[in-house]
Amino acid sequence: MKLYLTLILMFPLLGAILNALVGMRLSRPLSQAIACGSVWASFACSAAAFFALQGTARTELFRWLSAFDLNAPVSLCFDSLSAVICLMVTFVSGMIHLYSTAYMAEDKDYVRFFMLLNLFVFAMLLLLLADSLPLLFLGWEGVGFCSYALIGFWYEDEANATAGRKAFIVTRVGDVAFGVAIFWMFRLFGTVSISEINLMGHLIPVCTVTVLGLLLLGGAIGKSAQMPLMVWLPDAMAGPTPVSALIHAATMVIAGVYLLGRFFPFIGISPVVPAVIACIGTATAFYAATCALAQCDLKRILAYSTMSQIGFMMLGVGSGAITAATFHLLVHAFFKALLFMGAGCVIAAMGHEQDIFKMGGLRRNLPRTFWPFLAGAICLAGLPLTGGFFSKDSILVAVYLKGGPLYSALFALAEFTALLTAIYTFRMVYVVFGGERREVHTVPRFMEITLLPLAMLALFGGIINLPEYLGRPGWLAGLLAPLTGIEGVKPGNGTEVILQIVAGAIALLGLAIAHTRYGGGRWRTGERGLPALECNAFFREGWYFDRLYRFLFIRPYDAVSRFLWAGVDEGVFNNSVDALGNVTGIAGRSLGKWTNGRVSLYLASFVGGAVLLLVYFAWIIIS
Amino acid sequence: MIVPLAHVLILSALIFTMGMFCLLVWRRNIIMMLIGIEIMLNAVILAFVGGAAHWGTADGQVFALFIIAMTSAEVSLALALVVYLHRRKKSVNSDDYSTLQE
Repeated sequence: MKLYLTLILMFPLLGAILNALVGMRLSRPLSQAIACGSVWASFACSAAAFFALQGTARTELFRWLSAFDLNAPVSLCFDSLSAVICLMVTFVSGMIHLYSTAYMAEDKDYVRFFMLLNLFVFAMLLLLLADSLPLLFLGWEGVGFCSYALIGFWYEDEANATAGRKAFIVTRVGDVAFGVAIFWMFRLFGTVSISEINLMGHLIPVCTVTVLGLLLLGGAIGKSAQMPLMVWLPDAMAGPTPVSALIHAATMVIAGVYLLGRFFPFIGISPVVPAVIACIGTATAFYAATCALAQCDLKRILAYSTMSQIGFMMLGVGSGAITAATFHLLVHAFFKALLFMGAGCVIAAMGHEQDIFKMGGLRRNLPRTFWPFLAGAICLAGLPLTGGFFSKDSILVAVYLKGGPLYSALFALAEFTALLTAIYTFRMVYVVFGGERREVHTVPRFMEITLLPLAMLALFGGIINLPEYLGRPGWLAGLLAPLTGIEGVKPGNGTEVILQIVAGAIALLGLAIAHTRYGGGRWRTGERGLPALECNAFFREGWYFDRLYRFLFIRPYDAVSRFLWAGVDEGVFNNSVDALGNVTGIAGRSLGKWTNGRVSLYLASFVGGAVLLLVYFAWIIIS
Repeated sequence: MIVPLAHVLILSALIFTMGMFCLLVWRRNIIMMLIGIEIMLNAVILAFVGGAAHWGTADGQVFALFIIAMTSAEVSLALALVVYLHRRKKSVNSDDYSTLQE
């Protein structure tokens, strides 16, 4: 097991190092083969480790930091939760690496791209497997850095670099809270091992658990783009599309959900923290769904839908349904990666045009992209019997069973959000693919082939955790049972069937609404060529959160920095040093005039000095 | 000794001051400045000799002899320089000889 775990981490790291050091000298196919091969090798090791897994495997590779009481070993923890996510991450990364070889075929910076992708996979796996908090934080910051570097991959364009910086800075805000939580836990428990901390939650007052839980939540909302730190994700779409698929949809943004799931035995002790998590999740899901309704940029629609779906996962964690959240996390990774890769094909076919209202009619032009994309879309919308239907519904069932006024309200809002999800998803499908045939560029066949396995997994992903009324408990629930224990009340079969019927009806209603508004190219007849919703700047601009933050934080910070720069640094320090220099210079120049070379003046000075000395001696003798 | 030491020293100081003023004021003629230096040296010799007479030792007289010898050497060298400078600059004004500073 130790060998497997080491290899899982080592392959992507070695791939990154190889490409970084000698990638420029290798031929293009070899460099790409190294990148793809290392990820697939890591997937093979994950699969081997998964099948060899019994219970929880812990292993310590070596001591990393050791000073006084602090002991941060490189210790890995491989349990069923990290195992399934590891499998998903390596598989989706492998598919996206393959896709990238075709997508980046024109780009001459492919070595840097693949190096960063491999490094990202390494950091993500480190985050998943780490048992000690400093190691987890290393992975956490590693994915943050790779995300920054890849958003600004085409850094010649100022806007891309700015988007990268924005993502980096906004997530840092959450990371500060996470860092504080790590230090505090070490003070309290004297250990940084996650599994040990989870056992010791009962030893400290509940209010301390609450504060620690909220600090962890702060880190999670930064990384997972939840309210109020969600503004970076739509701008992160400036990166290449495979990056959006891998980092900003399938893997990195679920790190927050994973962190909270990992710590759930600890933070679940406090009654407040899960409620706050559930509220933030639902609010974000609703917020992002309304924004997605009004976007015109294909990738921004998908970005907002990612945010919204992660909100659902947060709601699941907040309801104590770790299994349901993990289930949705896995299925979401498949269909969202699929949707982004499909979007990449569409954008390539349109010659890098991302406005959906300039597309249309692609169903006949790109059938091999359309069908997988449609599969992803019906998963996202949650049409019955798709993977997304089962996973989203298991979260909603858990929320419903939680009961109480708060969770009932959240349940109602979540169902409404599910309706909005179906509407914006099919709006996107109708506008992009419906309508008349048109001229497009050709899309590399290989890119479209890589969509198929993901489409299969997304459509049939529900199999891994079928509801209990079909006979026996789901596979995933059985796998995660030792970790999560018994989760709340088990639903009666009747309740669950009714809830699923409601969810299916809602998805179909969304489809119907989208069909009446956008079906058959009807949107073209709207006012100014666009339906009224698209003119709603409030939703299109994300409820003006960017402007609010600009007003609340950026402008005051700007003003303070400007004052400190122009007023204090330039005005006080710089000017005072300048003044000192000027005085010295003037003094030197005026004294310099004394040495004019005239003997008489020198003699007079000499005599004057002698007289002064004499006066001084005389004064000493007298007094 | 007939003349008290204090009188000798006062006379010496007066001569020294006169020589110094000669040196400072008469800068238009470098020969006059040299004369001023000679006068100052003579004032010093006078002080040495007065001291030697007062304490009854020979040290001051030895110093006086040394200064006289040194002065004769210095004057011969200085006058040679003056002649040379006068040839170059056609002037004996000390302020004209400021090229070393430039």
